Amino acid sequence: MALLCRNLLRSIATPLFRPNYQLTCIVARAFSTSQTACADFDPELKAKGIFGKKGPQKWLKYNDIVYPARKEGEPARPAEITHMRTNVKYSPDNMAYIATMIRGMSIDEALKQLSFHKKKGAHVISEVLLEAQEMAVRDHNVEFKSNLWVESSHATKGIVIKGVRRHAKRRFGEVRYKFCHYFVRLREGRPPKHYLPPPMTGYEKMEEYIREQRARRIAFSL
Amino acid sequence: MATCVKAVRQFTLTRGTPCMVWIPLVKHACAPLILQQQLMKKHWTIKWRKERANKYYKVNLPDFDEVRERDKFTPDEKRIWMKKEGICQPRNFTRPMYISNTNSVFEPYVPPEGDGKASSLSKEGARERFTELKEKGKSYKELRKVRQYEDNFDTTSFAELANNIYIETHNLLQDVKKNENRLLELVTEKAYPEMTFGLDHKTLHWKFVESIEPARVVHIRTNPMITNDNIYAQITVRFHSKQVLALYDRFGRLMYGSEHLVKDVIDYVVFEKHIASLYGSWRIHGKIIPKWLPPREPLLKTYRKPNLNFEEIDNAEEKEKTDKKEEEEEKDEINEAIEKQKKKYNVEIV
Repeated sequence: MALLCRNLLRSIATPLFRPNYQLTCIVARAFSTSQTACADFDPELKAKGIFGKKGPQKWLKYNDIVYPARKEGEPARPAEITHMRTNVKYSPDNMAYIATMIRGMSIDEALKQLSFHKKKGAHVISEVLLEAQEMAVRDHNVEFKSNLWVESSHATKGIVIKGVRRHAKRRFGEVRYKFCHYFVRLREGRPPKHYLPPPMTGYEKMEEYIREQRARRIAFSL
Repeated sequence: MATCVKAVRQFTLTRGTPCMVWIPLVKHACAPLILQQQLMKKHWTIKWRKERANKYYKVNLPDFDEVRERDKFTPDEKRIWMKKEGICQPRNFTRPMYISNTNSVFEPYVPPEGDGKASSLSKEGARERFTELKEKGKSYKELRKVRQYEDNFDTTSFAELANNIYIETHNLLQDVKKNENRLLELVTEKAYPEMTFGLDHKTLHWKFVESIEPARVVHIRTNPMITNDNIYAQITVRFHSKQVLALYDRFGRLMYGSEHLVKDVIDYVVFEKHIASLYGSWRIHGKIIPKWLPPREPLLKTYRKPNLNFEEIDNAEEKEKTDKKEEEEEKDEINEAIEKQKKKYNVEIV
């Protein structure tokens, strides 16, 4: 009887003496805290860990500038709103074409033109514009939402992930999966007549020609 | 013509873009198709499509769109999403607690309507006087309690101190970022966010012109927290003064008020002190806004009203009513059935 008891006791006590016993693992898991588990499984944190970049930071800080109060009689300063979208899965090269297209347009015109554009980038840009417009009215004291124009609009390179593709004869090539950032600044008021410098008149062309001719340097002269 | 086709081929192959000017020169109808296929550099049957796709190693690209969507989640949605993903929510059991001030105004002062101008012969006036007397009696009691902790506490000298605090805080509010530390010495942690809300992107111009009536104490209350001797005191002070207020938006454009308009202002401001503490100080704790206050001047800007669909609201109300009716009917039916059963069993038992 005593022997049986001793054996029983030993079998119960074994997990306590053997560190690699399965039971100890289970006990340990029961005591694990949630905080560490959180860090492991949060995809956002993971993404940050992989790429280690915060992305563009300065562009939205234009929205925090507070200009001094205008004195009476001075013309009112037109409102300006900056907005951006980071890391869009789209090539910055393609995005640049669409971004340049809407420069200097009124917001309604820009949205209309983008709606007729076939590319994916156009859809992304129109989304950003609508967001910026809503922000302008909600947060930046803009009175009429149509009274805005696109002052600047550009795209830059975001993160680039490199992939591999197979070629013949055991060769390999590199594939670049590109992401892009898009930035826009809206200004209150009507769009300017000439966003880019206007084409030169005949008289101006002649003047410039004469200036060029006079500015020539004749070699080996006095 | 054959040379021509050759030229087209070479051109397209080297440049990589089809040239529409060249194509009409080609005699055969199928030539452009062939050209296209040569441009694509793909086999013409779709049979090899899968094999072609297999040349690329699969890469798991991060989905930033999803992350962006997630940023817009409400706390509830976020909780649901985390549960679905099997992520534990970080739980913080150590919540910060301020015990240097209370989080409310206890037994707030009720200012008499029209600043107590109603005649004491009228019904309203008589009632006002009566409540005033009652409140005053209570305030005296509380004043004695304050004096236990504060030696030589005097309401008139306190009113002066309150006036100074009132003017200094409003002056400092013109630049919150710069004066944050000083402001927190003059304002409690409860009142600070209320006073500075939205001022970080605006310019505030405030000027105290003169006081029309000297500030006076109208209401005193004390309240213990946790233990009986841990007492907080709140004193309401009435200010009647002339002030100038102008609020400019981020671009320096006038939003509210005027730089030249001097206005008479009556303010009921609550001051609080942790009198049980050695280091307590009188700070602005809140403001009493009477119910009878006329509506404020509208903003200078025109803006769109939120799109409220009244039909939907009405329909929802009606629906609720009908639902309730249906529920009641159902209940009645059930009750009837139960009674029937009872009767049935009674009959059987009997």
